[in-house]
Amino acid sequence: MSGGIVANLRRVANVVVAPFSWTVSAVARPIGHLFAGAVNYSDVVAQNQKLRYELGVAEQHANQAWSLERQAQQLTTQLNVPFIGALSSVAAQVTSLSPTNFSATITISKGRKQGVLVGMPVVANGGLVGIVISSGANASTVQLITDVNSSIGATFGNGSATLIISGNGLNNGLGVTSVPLNDNVAPGTVFSTDGLNGALYPPGLPIATVTKATLTPGAATFDLTLKPTADLRNLTYVDVLLWEPST
Amino acid sequence: MGAFYVRRQLIPAAIATLFVLAIQLVVFSGFRFADVVIMFVWLWPVAMGIAGYTMLSLIVGLVAGVFFDLHSVTPFGLTAAIGMLLGYATSRLGREGVGDLDSAAWWVAPVIAAGAGFVAPLGYTIGGFFALDFQLWRGSVLAMMVVNASAFFIMARPVVRVARAIGRLGEGAIR
Repeated sequence: MSGGIVANLRRVANVVVAPFSWTVSAVARPIGHLFAGAVNYSDVVAQNQKLRYELGVAEQHANQAWSLERQAQQLTTQLNVPFIGALSSVAAQVTSLSPTNFSATITISKGRKQGVLVGMPVVANGGLVGIVISSGANASTVQLITDVNSSIGATFGNGSATLIISGNGLNNGLGVTSVPLNDNVAPGTVFSTDGLNGALYPPGLPIATVTKATLTPGAATFDLTLKPTADLRNLTYVDVLLWEPST
Repeated sequence: MGAFYVRRQLIPAAIATLFVLAIQLVVFSGFRFADVVIMFVWLWPVAMGIAGYTMLSLIVGLVAGVFFDLHSVTPFGLTAAIGMLLGYATSRLGREGVGDLDSAAWWVAPVIAAGAGFVAPLGYTIGGFFALDFQLWRGSVLAMMVVNASAFFIMARPVVRVARAIGRLGEGAIR
């Protein structure tokens, strides 16, 4: 079945199911809020106070960062160095999580009308979150980096070595296998996108941190366990980078 | 071609199936127990099968599965295939009266549903190989099996009652 036919079927299915979902949501949401409010009220108050404090600190840092950013932009202009901060982005809200455990995806509130296209990387919470795999008029589906079908070209340290980071499934983290021993990778090492020619992601996006390095039995290589830099369990808002792969 | 006729059961069954799908997408896909999504779309054809309606269990399994697959990026049709298999298998028992809520022991229907919930994620993973998706096993399949079995055990009786009520709506119209 061609991609175009399936896309049309998805649109029809969404139209058919939407009124039922709206009805169920209208009934379920107030009930859920009632229970959540009753159980979590004191936590919410404490969180609110903490956030107010952190907002104040962040505003102070933002003022300091502004002047530093100006200096950095002047420097990169003179050096002609690609700077990730110069990429345009579109902020989007996460509207739903993956409906099944067999895929790690999220649906976001922006689509083609807002400039979001298939293949654009998505970042949030300080790191890479995933890549857009389908884009409708006003909504898109993002495959998370932890999806079993996700593979990301990555590098670390001085960027001389490149590896492939694979997803291990929803909430199962990331992994890299067959890492040469001489690559000297230790727990705490941060991996970022390599951005090689033809890569799916621009360079320099933080992906994950090594949590465990295991010597592969019988082989002269490491197997690495990595934890995503971005907090994928608490995705509310994300940024879609308006960047497309060169291929 | 034989005469085409509409069973009175199909319309309420179809509407109920769409509500089941909406409940799955709005409630169960957002609420996760031990990071596992409870697959209510599989419990529905199982319940219809336990109630003894073979054809209805196949139809609701197909409709719920197809619409669910159109909302996810997993192999298209696999959820429907598993739903139909489960519905048919449980209907073989349902037709013998094994899961009759009124005459059988109270635990029979929940145990049958729990068995279906336990087998379903494994069947889905194996079915993925035939759909040329060889990565489905890398999720927490055992956790999915246990959580779905437990959830189906708890929800079986009320869902079977609903399925039986819908099945009885059109029994008078069957030719």
